[in-house]
Amino acid sequence: MAALKLDYSVLDAPQRATDRIEADCAREIHGDVHAQNFKLPMVENYDEFQREVVDYVKPNHGTTTLGFIFEHGVVIAVDSRASQGPYISSQTVKKVIEINPYLLGTMAGGAADCQFWQRNLGIQCRLHELENGKRISVAGASKLLANTLYGYRGQGLSMGTMVAGWDLKGPGLYYVDSDGTRLKGQRFSVGSGSLFAYGVLDQGYRWDLSVEEACELGRRAIYHATFRDAFSGGTISVYHVNENGWTKVSGTDVGELHFEYYPADPVENPEGGKGAGGGKDKDAAGDAMES
Amino acid sequence: MFMTRSEYDRGVTTFSPEGRLFQVEYAIEAIKLGSTAIAILTKEGIVLAVERRTQSPLMVPSSLDKIMEIDSHVACAVSGLTADAQSMVEHGRVQAQNHYFTYNESMPVRSLTQSLCALSANFGTDDEDSMSRPFGVALLVAGHDVDNGYQLYHTDPSGTWTAYKAKAIGSGSEGAQTTLQEEYKDDMTLKEAENLALSTLKAVMEEKVSTANVDMASVAPKYEIYSKDRIKEIIERL
Repeated sequence: MAALKLDYSVLDAPQRATDRIEADCAREIHGDVHAQNFKLPMVENYDEFQREVVDYVKPNHGTTTLGFIFEHGVVIAVDSRASQGPYISSQTVKKVIEINPYLLGTMAGGAADCQFWQRNLGIQCRLHELENGKRISVAGASKLLANTLYGYRGQGLSMGTMVAGWDLKGPGLYYVDSDGTRLKGQRFSVGSGSLFAYGVLDQGYRWDLSVEEACELGRRAIYHATFRDAFSGGTISVYHVNENGWTKVSGTDVGELHFEYYPADPVENPEGGKGAGGGKDKDAAGDAMES
Repeated sequence: MFMTRSEYDRGVTTFSPEGRLFQVEYAIEAIKLGSTAIAILTKEGIVLAVERRTQSPLMVPSSLDKIMEIDSHVACAVSGLTADAQSMVEHGRVQAQNHYFTYNESMPVRSLTQSLCALSANFGTDDEDSMSRPFGVALLVAGHDVDNGYQLYHTDPSGTWTAYKAKAIGSGSEGAQTTLQEEYKDDMTLKEAENLALSTLKAVMEEKVSTANVDMASVAPKYEIYSKDRIKEIIERL
């Protein structure tokens, strides 16, 4: 006859499933440079909490950033506006993150997420450098970031970033976002104003652009995005990366650029009547209205 | 003699009735079997010089790294079990990077040394990343920071750290330390320190010094490993 075994588990101290999850998570994360001691919130239903919390935290979606590879390296151009819902919270945000002298990251989405995780990427790149005695490739760096972001997928991170730099293979440009997407490419634009920037960028891009022309193209593309997208603005920063690392080329107020790209004086319509606006710049809205 | 020690040299955390921790003492002995390493502090920077002992002509000398960079402002020369040194340096590198991440400034050399010693002294505990035995390695930690300038520290398996102006560790350390004591001057230039480090090393080495069996580096104020040509230049200068 089999011995009857009593189940005494009802006498155990009550334990919630989430306590265990939290303890497991903390153990797994402990001592890992990727994780920086992140802890999960103590809630009954984690998934429900996540959906709920997205409504509280309004990420900074207003941004225009762009980057492209050409004959003489990589150009990165960004605006500097931060918004929280309809409110413009800053006009002086540094959206280019200088990971190390050969790597740049751009910021779109959550400012804190981008700053924190790209500095964390800086650590990982430096440790790679110390362990292997050589600089990490742009492909490697972007993959480190993509892997950390994928590890936090669905936990509320909001990032749309480009990792640009120079390695043994030459210039490199990758798009990495908080879904874990990682794309290699020659031209990218990220943020709410990206479609406007793409319009100008795709139209003006050539492989054999000079450095000056390339920086000008990047600046012009961001300018037009700041003009049409209310969530982009402030100052435009332009960076250039070549075999000697990155240099900051310019930082210009969009207000000043406005008079350069889009003069206020109306011009004569050759077919009679006043023009709707427009000026020197072919990309200006006035010309589009003619067709 | 060994009979009198019996039992008390087994557990790493058990003191003998005379108040000694034998495993730690044995670990310190292990360093004396290691290759010689020398570090000299000057007002212009710190010089590190180590001996590379190749046991066979088929061994690739470049695979023996006895000088390691912890961060651009701190380096260390090691003697003893290099595998243990690797773990300590790896720990130091992560600490230095995390410090920079948190405070946006380079980690002070003393804090870094303390962190390495905390790891050294953490043997025999239940911690997940704790070693079951003491590390069998001594380090000469050389670095520069804004607050305290150039600093040179010696660490041993017990987790003790001491600041030095000039220090030798490893098999030739006794002779080398005596030479350093006689020859060291407070107002030495970096070049004079290079000469003293290499001539001291030369005196205690069994083989003839060459670019193949010594390694040199400096922290002045950034870490720099010397090329073969530069070491050759110093050898010729002696």
